[in-house]
Amino acid sequence: MENFELLRNVTIGQYIPTGSVIHRLDPRAKLLAASFLILAISFASSILANIIFLIVILIITRISRIDVKYLLRGFILGLPILIFIFVMQFLFMGRAEPAGYVFFEWGWFRITQRSLYIMALSGLRLLSFVFLTSLITMTSTTTELTHGVEQLLRPFRRVRVPSHELALILMIALRFVPTLAEEMENIMKAQASRGADIGTGRMWRPDKAAKAYLPLIVPLFLNAFRRAEDLVWAMEARGYVGGEGRTNFIQLKSRGIDYVVVIAAFLFMIFMMVFPWPSISPILRQIGFMG
Amino acid sequence: MSHPIIRLEKVHFSYEIERQEPIKALNGVDLEVRDGEYLVILGHNGSGKSTLAKHLNALLAPTEGDVWVRDWNTRETQHMRDIRTTVGMVFQTPDNQIVATIVEEDVAFGPENLGLPHDEIVRRVDWALEQVGMTEFRHRAPHLLSGGQKQRVCIAGMLAMRPDVLVLDESTAMLDPIGRKDVLSIAQRLNRQEGVTIVAITHFMEEAIHADRVVIMENGRIEMEGTPREVFSQVERLRELQMDVPPITRLALALHERHPDFPAVALTIDEFVDAFRKRVTPGRTTSHLSNSDSQTPHSGETVISMQDVGHYYMLDTPLEVKAVEHVNIDLHRDEVLGIIGHTGSGKSTIIQHMNALLKPHEGVVQVFGEDTTANETDIRAIRRRVGLAFQHPEIQLFERFVGDDVAYGPRNLGLPKEEVRERVREAMEAVGLGFEEFKDRMTFSLSGGEKRRAALAGILALRPEVLVLDEPTAGLDPVGRRQLLELIHRWHEKGITLVMVSHNMEELAEMAGRLYVVANGTTLMNGTAREIFSQVDALQAQGLDAPTVTLALHRLADEGLISREQASLYTVEAAAEFLGGMLNGKL
Repeated sequence: MENFELLRNVTIGQYIPTGSVIHRLDPRAKLLAASFLILAISFASSILANIIFLIVILIITRISRIDVKYLLRGFILGLPILIFIFVMQFLFMGRAEPAGYVFFEWGWFRITQRSLYIMALSGLRLLSFVFLTSLITMTSTTTELTHGVEQLLRPFRRVRVPSHELALILMIALRFVPTLAEEMENIMKAQASRGADIGTGRMWRPDKAAKAYLPLIVPLFLNAFRRAEDLVWAMEARGYVGGEGRTNFIQLKSRGIDYVVVIAAFLFMIFMMVFPWPSISPILRQIGFMG
Repeated sequence: MSHPIIRLEKVHFSYEIERQEPIKALNGVDLEVRDGEYLVILGHNGSGKSTLAKHLNALLAPTEGDVWVRDWNTRETQHMRDIRTTVGMVFQTPDNQIVATIVEEDVAFGPENLGLPHDEIVRRVDWALEQVGMTEFRHRAPHLLSGGQKQRVCIAGMLAMRPDVLVLDESTAMLDPIGRKDVLSIAQRLNRQEGVTIVAITHFMEEAIHADRVVIMENGRIEMEGTPREVFSQVERLRELQMDVPPITRLALALHERHPDFPAVALTIDEFVDAFRKRVTPGRTTSHLSNSDSQTPHSGETVISMQDVGHYYMLDTPLEVKAVEHVNIDLHRDEVLGIIGHTGSGKSTIIQHMNALLKPHEGVVQVFGEDTTANETDIRAIRRRVGLAFQHPEIQLFERFVGDDVAYGPRNLGLPKEEVRERVREAMEAVGLGFEEFKDRMTFSLSGGEKRRAALAGILALRPEVLVLDEPTAGLDPVGRRQLLELIHRWHEKGITLVMVSHNMEELAEMAGRLYVVANGTTLMNGTAREIFSQVDALQAQGLDAPTVTLALHRLADEGLISREQASLYTVEAAAEFLGGMLNGKL
């Protein structure tokens, strides 16, 4: 049967307060270190490097005292994308050269050493990427993140990056997610009470599907606009005139460990980039894949 | 209390609408807000009171005339910041005023905008949260708070800017009785102890009782002005302006009509009891109780039965919570069943079981004899037979034209065109929106009360046998409230079985034959309205109140002027009849 509880199955973005060292890091340090790690992973084109990277992430998870099961639950969200990428690579990467050993060939379609390699690599990369981002949201509150983003972007204000405005938009968006989710739930229930059949029916016909969702989307949007209008009045009444001349209630403070973490992440990135990772072929040859 | 802090001189204001005649909202308003006073502005929807409020802190500038805040004209943009820090404003919907994801950060938003140094911001945030009693919630996320608590956060957010004047623009309209009481007592204390000038805009007359001065608006003009006593004594004039007098004042007046010696105006229960005591001697409770329960409970067949029902939210997640348990309710055909309980008591969860939107995790729910968890039960048939209108049902409107929106339900049933049309006509007439006149009107051009009725028509068009209404009158002004209650009464007479959820005791006293009290996720008491309302102490222990009339009679019983049994009346008419008989019998 239909389930109206929208937030029940979403684990990404959920803060898990375990009070670990990672939790207590300055959000700026956390964001900066994470950016270095993401860069590192984007450049590492060796399976071995990716495996090492995954191990590093699992160590961070352990330090954060977060259950690996939670991380995996977040991964379920990424699963459809992963499957899509796999299918695409399975079908089309066979033609990528140098192909290496050809396992199977049937007309235009073939499975080669190279295509399997690329699939494994992208799978590992995506896994690390999802784990890393979930880790950030699980160890930082939303306000920490918004303030972190604002302060990190502040130096770019000279080149007209609206750091304050971006942070404010992020904050308001996060603030209204639960409110709008609740409202959506109410609208769904109200329309279901009027005999609406939401989520079933001819969903493969886009025109019919769109029509079935109109009774949900129109009220949601109209209400969101009304809320936005109210919010503008309220912000004006509280003296908001933009980021100019504003001060901050939350003052982020960096400690020694924050610098250590950022520098460590940076060094790790450099290491991942310049280390002469062994190519995959010798290993495969060793385990007797290629004659 | 002398020097005016805000002055309005012949203020006119029109809303400009593209390609249409401008709509006149203010029509020559002259008003002074004095330093340190508690001013209440009353008026029903569309009277211009909210437009007036937005002029007080330069959110709107007059089309004609002038508004002065201290020595600054609100047209002069260079004083905008001074004006906004002098006059703070809290709006109607708490949810739409909160910017941040943490309470204390939201309170800090105003001081941050003013560019205050960090230490000063911290000091003000601490102070403001203390003032509204929200210190212990400072690290919470706002969406986890109740409506009343959210509104207190909004007030703190304004206070942190240290305004001299606090404007409450219908800030209590969306709150339940507890939230409303909290906000009012905070406003009163700020006024008395901190010397903050309060301008409260409302359509609840009860909120004007403690004011220094009351202003009543109608058609963008000030129609009446004076102390609460002066204003409330002009009952005829108030009726012309379609204002609702507080129940205790109505009771005093009804008594005055039967016994001219009794004062025509009483603003509080204390005052009423004093006046009555002076005119009757204790112990002489000779007069017999003439009025018996007019609404006896029905004993028709059971249409919905809930037995030992329990329900969880976020089941099987770390955030699992039990919303209700051991709920037992029987609904009989043709009755009007009332469910009392405040926000968070579990009443919304309970009624969603009645049309199988929710299914019990424990216990059994039977609707027309069918178990809602059984596989063979036709859920859609249940939803058709049991209509459910949520709080603020107007949010479900989505079609461009009223007629189409009402037709949504019947069309979902796959009915032929003619039948759909017939049902739409019938449903629209039933809510007092003429079919020919309203079917082609734009849904979003309707007034608040009309939208509410159009949404209800959308449910009536399914021709339900049972109609469950969650707070049907919430947020409506007294006129809209009265109209809707009359309509609901009519639907019942036409044979619809009703379940009405409310925290308005006066309303339930008037409508419902039998009542259930819901608290802490379970059904706590049930009985006839009279049985329930006579247990004033038990109700108050749950943070609920009996109707004002019952409370007044209980006070009389406490003083030994009437018996306990006689104190269980709950309508103004019945009580006035009985007390009037006592006074006249004594003469």
